[in-house]
Amino acid sequence: MQEWDDREIIEGSKIQGKEEIAFNHLVVKYQERLYWHIRKIVIDHDDTDDVLQNTMIKIWRSLSSFRSESGLYTWLYRIATNEALSFLKQKKKKAFAPWVDVEGQMSESLEADPWFSGDEIQLKLQQAILKLPEKQRIVFNMKYFDQVKYEEMSEILGTSVGALKASYHHAVKKIEAMLEKD
Amino acid sequence: MKMDRKKPDLQQEALKNHPFGVPEGYFEGFAERLQQRIKEEESSKVPVRKIGTVTRWMAAAAAVLAAALITTSIIRYTTSESAEGLYPDMALLEQMQVLDDDRYLYELLGEEVAAELDEDEAFATQAIEYLAINDVEMDLIFE
Repeated sequence: MQEWDDREIIEGSKIQGKEEIAFNHLVVKYQERLYWHIRKIVIDHDDTDDVLQNTMIKIWRSLSSFRSESGLYTWLYRIATNEALSFLKQKKKKAFAPWVDVEGQMSESLEADPWFSGDEIQLKLQQAILKLPEKQRIVFNMKYFDQVKYEEMSEILGTSVGALKASYHHAVKKIEAMLEKD
Repeated sequence: MKMDRKKPDLQQEALKNHPFGVPEGYFEGFAERLQQRIKEEESSKVPVRKIGTVTRWMAAAAAVLAAALITTSIIRYTTSESAEGLYPDMALLEQMQVLDDDRYLYELLGEEVAAELDEDEAFATQAIEYLAINDVEMDLIFE
């Protein structure tokens, strides 16, 4: 299957009878990128699979009405980020007690995760990242691992470039301090 | 991916590769599983019946008419009851007798008539008791 560019996907989704093909192209093109973005937020593979499916279903339902005001890639990332954050919120609600540390549980589960292939240093880094506030964690992951530009990040997260730079700076300082302490 | 280092340094390029993995063939089968889920969700949806504009107006008119009828009936019933309360008609009295609501009947008829009825009833009761004690055939009396 020859890969469609974003314009072809958007146009195809508005043509009756072509929506499904356009959507399939979108899934194949973006599934991996969105998966890794979500995985870094929710950590567990099965949870990531659920969130990715929900994200794709939302995209399927609204793709034909996408107005191209932002880039397709930005729009997809925004939906995926919102879905991942909603998932974490639900998880915290299901924990019933507000003092239950969901991030702490995620951090502990990393050690037993069969799909975590990192060494001791990488485990420490991931555990330090999980101690950051949610938004700071997303900013750090996007910049550090995915090298997303601040301008793009600003569109995805709806935060100013200045605030994102400050957020990343704070995150780096906190992580370095945490790693030094260990 | 293992790294030879004791102290972590965020500037190290190797650390910038995330350490997560996925089950084998996960991405190859994802699109198919997703399509399957979408089909399942769409087939399990309950179809929503849309109500047309004409039907909606007819339903509203019917509701208004029903409300008007109920209101009129209530007004008529309450006013007729209060006006005719002093002069009970025969139909109403018959209905009361059928229901055997003697107490309410006496109230409507007045105290004198009620006392009369009480005396008659007391006499009949005494007579039946007397006849029963003296082994008289009841059927013969009531024939």
